[in-house]
Amino acid sequence: MNALLMIAWRSGWNRRATLALVAFSIGLSTFLLLGFERVRADLRESFSQSVSGTDLIVGARTGGVQLMLYSVFHVGGATNNIRMDSVRAIEQNKSVGWVVPLSLGDSHLGFPVLATTPGFFEHFQYGYRQHLALASGRLFDGSLDELYDTVVGAEVADALGYKLGQKITLSHGAGGPGGIEHADKPFTVVGILQRTGTPVDRTVHISLEAMEAIHLDWAGGAPMPGVAIPAAMARKFDLAPKQVTAALVGLKSRAAVFGVQRFVADYPQEALMAVLPGVALDQLWDVVGAGEKALLALSALVAVVSFAGLVAVILAGLNERRRELAVLRAIGAGPRQVLMLLLAEGSLVALLGVGIGAILVAASTVGLGPWIQSQYGIVLSAAPPSDEEWKRVGEIVLAGIVASLIPAWRAYRLSLVDGLSPRV
Amino acid sequence: MKQRPFALKRPFLVICAPAIAVVAILISVTSLHVHPDFTSQAAISAAPVDQGAYRRIRWSELIPAQWDPKDLFKGEDISSWGDADPRALTLQRRMQAAWSKAPVNRALDQRAIRTAGYVVPIEESGDGMSEFLLVPYFGSCIHIPPPPANQIIDVSSPKPVKGVHSMDAVWVSGILSVAQIHHDIGDSAYALRADAVDLYTGPAQ
Repeated sequence: MNALLMIAWRSGWNRRATLALVAFSIGLSTFLLLGFERVRADLRESFSQSVSGTDLIVGARTGGVQLMLYSVFHVGGATNNIRMDSVRAIEQNKSVGWVVPLSLGDSHLGFPVLATTPGFFEHFQYGYRQHLALASGRLFDGSLDELYDTVVGAEVADALGYKLGQKITLSHGAGGPGGIEHADKPFTVVGILQRTGTPVDRTVHISLEAMEAIHLDWAGGAPMPGVAIPAAMARKFDLAPKQVTAALVGLKSRAAVFGVQRFVADYPQEALMAVLPGVALDQLWDVVGAGEKALLALSALVAVVSFAGLVAVILAGLNERRRELAVLRAIGAGPRQVLMLLLAEGSLVALLGVGIGAILVAASTVGLGPWIQSQYGIVLSAAPPSDEEWKRVGEIVLAGIVASLIPAWRAYRLSLVDGLSPRV
Repeated sequence: MKQRPFALKRPFLVICAPAIAVVAILISVTSLHVHPDFTSQAAISAAPVDQGAYRRIRWSELIPAQWDPKDLFKGEDISSWGDADPRALTLQRRMQAAWSKAPVNRALDQRAIRTAGYVVPIEESGDGMSEFLLVPYFGSCIHIPPPPANQIIDVSSPKPVKGVHSMDAVWVSGILSVAQIHHDIGDSAYALRADAVDLYTGPAQ
């Protein structure tokens, strides 16, 4: 058996140029299949990590998935704001333990700004019931003295090199060229949160009152010409928020969740909706699942194409190797050995390809991981292959062995009848 | 001279095509499923569990004998009302208020039980679902009215459960307890510490 593998290897080495190309194409399709699996698993992981301990998310009526996406993941936009007095009414519901209002819309150098109450840092949880924790500095308490204080996520601090005491200005809306800065009311970074692997890392947190203050001299989404309220003066105005984007709700008893959901949906003064985060996420996966299926099918097709390439190259090689196989037969190799030889060759190339693919995946998660995290907020784990990935590797190798059966069987058939016939 | 080289011949192609198809099917069939955890593990028990130790209970047993959810409707001729009848709306509000305070059956406190229901996810992380509500009928999170408080079990699983999706039917075995909660919203609710959660495959085993 070992001798056979040795012969297969040496013979393959003779044709290394073509076989390496085939191995590389199998490597690329392995990369596609494994990389896709890795991204899929990590995407789900980071989404389901992102919220915990929150029983309901309340917002203006829209789709459940959309409400979840913009309030927790800061993806997409809100259809409408909700009034603060509605939020207070929900807070007064007897089943409700806490409510954290969220106000979104501004940004800082591409990072979303979230205006909220100090209760956010107390109640918001991620992963499995983990609370947010400060890496350095302190939180803001929502008072007027700390009006222009901001607490930034770990990714914001890392990417922009912020230390405590850093002065920053916020941009209206998504920012970018042509955007309007709230330059007259600079903020001070007073706290930096520990890394969580969730969208909190990419968020600049300010108080709801600060959100009101920076928009005091604004009307209809633009600064009012001729009106400028200096930062210190803003404290003299009524800064109580009138409306917010969404609210996180925690209940005293989780069994009350349907009742409160109904209470919110039937709230007579405003059209509201409440979603259970877990249910909304499952809905999201149902939607994404169809796309995942299509991508998987494409990746599988690419793999089939590269194995077709493997079959074609070895088959084409058979013709050149008539003498080689005839010599083997002459020194006593049976047709079965010829079959095993070809099978070994194909399998070796497939294994080599899978190895190349696995290395490519590992290299790109390590190499591109930080960039993907800063661009898209998805944490790619540089962990050893998961069970699902091992399964996929096994499938690819198995497919390689099945594919190399084709030339092997062909050589077996022909070596019986024509291996030693003295024809040239 | 008649040539018989190792060249492709027609019959060979005929044999080759199904072989490639087999490879294609092998790859696609084994890797194409939306919920990979789902097919790979039908049973997702947190631990091997002796089924006999848990008493199979029905949802009706969770309702104390003296509490009748239909009490509210007595003396009302609901069938003669239209859908938008204002009396229906007030009645529904009253019904919801009463149902959210529905009393529990204290005889079941600290009992090892086994029951089947639908999953409404509450706590989920990368490892799986660690807490969910078990409800007696499909669609409880969108349909009205929501089930009465004594028809909702707050299930927590010490070992996160994988492969369970929102509104899947499952068998749950564990210790049922009556949790005391704030008196404004009724005094108690069911909680269950699950020893095993299995996808529902059929009626009682």
